[in-house]
Amino acid sequence: MISAELLAAIDDLQIRYISALDRRDFDAWLACFDSHGSYICTPRENEEQGLPLALMMDDCYERLKDRVSYITQVWAGTFEDYWTRHFIQRLACTPGSTNSYSVITNFEVLYTSARGRSEILVAGCYQDEVIVSPTGAKFRAKKAVLDTSTTPRYLVYPV
Amino acid sequence: MVGEPDIFRWPANPTELPKAAFHREDVFRLELERIFRGPEWHPLAHLAELPKPGDFKTFRLGDAPVLAIRGDDDRVRVVFNSCTHRGTQLQTCSRGHAEEFECPYHRWLFNNRGELLAAPGSDRFPAAFRKADYHLRELRTAEFHGLIFATCSDDAPELATYLGETAPLFEQVLGDGRLVLLGYQKVTFSSNWKEYNDNEGYHAPLLHRAFRLLRWQGGKGIQCATEYGHVGLQAELQSAANSDFLNDRSLVEFRGANGAPPKSIVIALFPLASVIKHLDVINVRYVIPHSVDETEVHYAYFCHQDDDPAMMRHRLRQSSNLLGPSGFISLEDGAVFNRLHQGSLTPGRVRYQKGVAAMAPPPCIVDQNDESANPIKWEHYRQVMGFERDQR
Repeated sequence: MISAELLAAIDDLQIRYISALDRRDFDAWLACFDSHGSYICTPRENEEQGLPLALMMDDCYERLKDRVSYITQVWAGTFEDYWTRHFIQRLACTPGSTNSYSVITNFEVLYTSARGRSEILVAGCYQDEVIVSPTGAKFRAKKAVLDTSTTPRYLVYPV
Repeated sequence: MVGEPDIFRWPANPTELPKAAFHREDVFRLELERIFRGPEWHPLAHLAELPKPGDFKTFRLGDAPVLAIRGDDDRVRVVFNSCTHRGTQLQTCSRGHAEEFECPYHRWLFNNRGELLAAPGSDRFPAAFRKADYHLRELRTAEFHGLIFATCSDDAPELATYLGETAPLFEQVLGDGRLVLLGYQKVTFSSNWKEYNDNEGYHAPLLHRAFRLLRWQGGKGIQCATEYGHVGLQAELQSAANSDFLNDRSLVEFRGANGAPPKSIVIALFPLASVIKHLDVINVRYVIPHSVDETEVHYAYFCHQDDDPAMMRHRLRQSSNLLGPSGFISLEDGAVFNRLHQGSLTPGRVRYQKGVAAMAPPPCIVDQNDESANPIKWEHYRQVMGFERDQR
């Protein structure tokens, strides 16, 4: 049985995560991961066919830091920007090894282009490993599995 | 000239294009007929995407659904993905494995060689009905370094002739063709297919800031424009000396070929597909022209059967983050395709500039950072489409 406090800490992490993305605060996004954290964004189609390729494969903390640089330094000013709104729903939370929890969460992400039209960017589910410590919860591994096999235009920001 | 010749005019100057070509519905319909159902070759799958007998992949050739199947006789066929009875799309999965293909509508059953095995109620079919007349309609195919090309037309030249001077580059990307599929990235651009495939070497160091940060440009490089509208680019990349700003430099690390400099090879095939090697990434891009303003691209990535686990892992990590729709050095393309398409709703013409003085009839070699290979490709397009040039 997982306590209400523990679930609250895990939900708070998910809220901080999507809030950081929707505010485009990538330092806050990075702060959601622990120092061994990883982020993978991949289409479900690849997963189901046993194909390891991802859309974003930040499988070490160095790559997470690099993703922040791509967005804020390398790509900045070269792409047509868009605004996102993430909506999430926790489906399951199961304890793993010490202080580690496996969390499944549905997501839907809307995007609004510079032209002011809002459409669905992606839908899917997070398969996360969360580490809970006295200072709060952090992602050890966050995996966004997209039902959307063909995404519109480009994904600048993580999901 | 098509449709309304008083409105649609192809400029006399070969370095100019009418922007209306990117928006007119009648031009798009004619492209489907003359290019996608005409005498051009289209790569639709690599053998590594269909490794076992019974493996299949669905795709589109222009607007037509097609099915590439490796039969139980180990032969890869490309057939129209459509039941020969009423035309129902036979298979809807993007990729899979099947011994047989059954149409759900009237349960006509085909084997994985495309042969009709059974049709329920055939005792009440006309006496002249022969199953052999109702096998899945097979397209003419040819294989090159494991890549399966198909054409709807018997008039297409032999594939080697068609590929022309780009043919030797395939070896540098696909090697002996013994590849393993790593997976796909798929994206839809809000642009015309001709805007998507009109990239050139001029933009590379200018649009893509990562190219400048890495100081990759400056090595030797050329583009070759061929008779059938293909452009082959080969460029040496400076070894990534300035990768200090990356915390994980493996993203731009080159581990292949003993001592040889890292290279960029881009085979931009007419009309749409491309075959690319950049550092250790092996990439084929298949493209569907959905409409005048929607183009879908499937990026397929591969490693080699002889890669050790470390090399396979390296290719996987590089492929996932470097060149695709969200890639470190390529993301900006998607935004430009959309903007090209919006901007080309304005009056006037596209005018190529850089290096056009060196243009010559194909095969023509131009500088790696020029845009003069594109008008040579467009000349093939114009001829295939049957558009006449203005005399003045």
